Amino acid sequence: MTAVEPLDLELEPGVVLGFLGPNGAGKTTLIRMVTTILRPTSGSFEVAGIPDSRPEEIRRRVGVLPESAGYPDGQTGEEFLRYHARLYGQSRPSARVSARRLLEDVGLGERSNSLVSAYSRGMRQRLGIARALVNDPQVVFLDEPTLGLDPAGQRQVLGLVGRIARDRGATVVLSTHLLAEVEEVCDRVLIIHRGRVVVYGTVAEVASRAAAPRAAQVRVPAELSDRAKEALIEAGVPVLELDVERGRLSEAFLEMTS
Amino acid sequence: MATLEHSVPRVATPAWLVVAGQELRDLWIAGRALAMMLAFSALVSVTTYLVATNQALNFLEQREAVNLTLQIGVAVGALIVLLGSADALSGERERGTLESLLLTPAPRRDLVIGKGLAALSLWLGAFLVLIPYVWFIGRGIGIVGVSLLSGLGVGTLLAVFLAGLGLLISALAGSNRMSLSISLFVLLALYAPNQMPTGAQQGWMGDLLLRIDPLSSGLHYLGKIVVDGHGAGQDASWLLSPLVAAVLACAAALVLGGRVSLRAGERP
Repeated sequence: MTAVEPLDLELEPGVVLGFLGPNGAGKTTLIRMVTTILRPTSGSFEVAGIPDSRPEEIRRRVGVLPESAGYPDGQTGEEFLRYHARLYGQSRPSARVSARRLLEDVGLGERSNSLVSAYSRGMRQRLGIARALVNDPQVVFLDEPTLGLDPAGQRQVLGLVGRIARDRGATVVLSTHLLAEVEEVCDRVLIIHRGRVVVYGTVAEVASRAAAPRAAQVRVPAELSDRAKEALIEAGVPVLELDVERGRLSEAFLEMTS
Repeated sequence: MATLEHSVPRVATPAWLVVAGQELRDLWIAGRALAMMLAFSALVSVTTYLVATNQALNFLEQREAVNLTLQIGVAVGALIVLLGSADALSGERERGTLESLLLTPAPRRDLVIGKGLAALSLWLGAFLVLIPYVWFIGRGIGIVGVSLLSGLGVGTLLAVFLAGLGLLISALAGSNRMSLSISLFVLLALYAPNQMPTGAQQGWMGDLLLRIDPLSSGLHYLGKIVVDGHGAGQDASWLLSPLVAAVLACAAALVLGGRVSLRAGERP
């Protein structure tokens, strides 16, 4: 059985790729292979121009937030990042500076000396993203970074994903099930199914390939909806559906809790 | 979001040293090692108290009392090392923290070495706890120094052997519980020859069993030094088995542990 079919993909720096696929499609397997955690049974690959025969070099150039990553409860956030920075070869003072800067970047500066056990799930995910950035990587793989987060946490993490690509110029591969996330932050989309690439392109291209335009949407103020409908009918335009948009639950949730 | 301005140097400090430092902090400051030392102290205290006051055990000659305390200390100290190392990789795997370590450019062998060194620190801690007890039991007959020195030597050999064995099992076991269970089973099997009746230990078969079992062999050597008053080199052949076992276990741990994967049995 082939877990992942041959795949050739070139992405420019600063691009966010939405990596989609149903459960069991091979997303995590593919990420683990290209980040050298798993060795493919056959074939080869390159990441950031480095062949898979040099896994340590690849690991120096990629940052990864693994799916369901664990964190040592007995370490503080800063200690955790310092440890990983040192494993990437940074000196003790440099690791300390990096850890503090990254914690500030992900909004955990004030909690740098708290034990990881006291972090919420969202804070742990942001700590994991900071860990993925500790080596200033060229390519960042984020495997389900918003899994299990509340809407505010999702928004924080997605904001962070955008900033990683924009400010650091890193290529970000975002694996997720949430299509809204992809539409919000991704420039390109890659969909795989049973280890095979189904489609690759910009968000608009992929959406248009799946379904041709069927209806146009006109947005008018809610109080003028009746007048707009009458005007359209008078102009001979058939109105297929008129829907008055109400507030979204996610907006209400964020408004009341943020 | 600021990017790092410095370029990352190749290797400032060897990765095994970084891992060992962090593991030592986690082990001794987070409290697991301190709890083990507390339990070890309680056990040695009870043993010493019984040896010093109990009517039945008081029939022991003082050298034999020192030997008994030392052997219990060495055996339990080695057990603590085995427990520590058996948790090292399978524990990380179970807690989900192994993947982030494997994602760093640190060679996997360095992870194993660092964790092994941290586990060995448990034996040194146990030995420090043991010193005052051996001194108390052995004072006045001039064997405290030689007992402690031989105990340190034999205990270190056994600790290195069991650290290697524990790491090996931990790298290959499917779960942490399995790793700890297998390690304890192996340890009990290693204790068995030493627990045989004296009659069964005699003859060429008994002698062979005692000599090929590193634990029994090491503890037997301690008895020769402490009870029989032999010189360190006189019975050195009894140290051959612990020495070979330590070398083989460490080599196997380095080779197989160096290929540690996210899931046991997976291609790394």
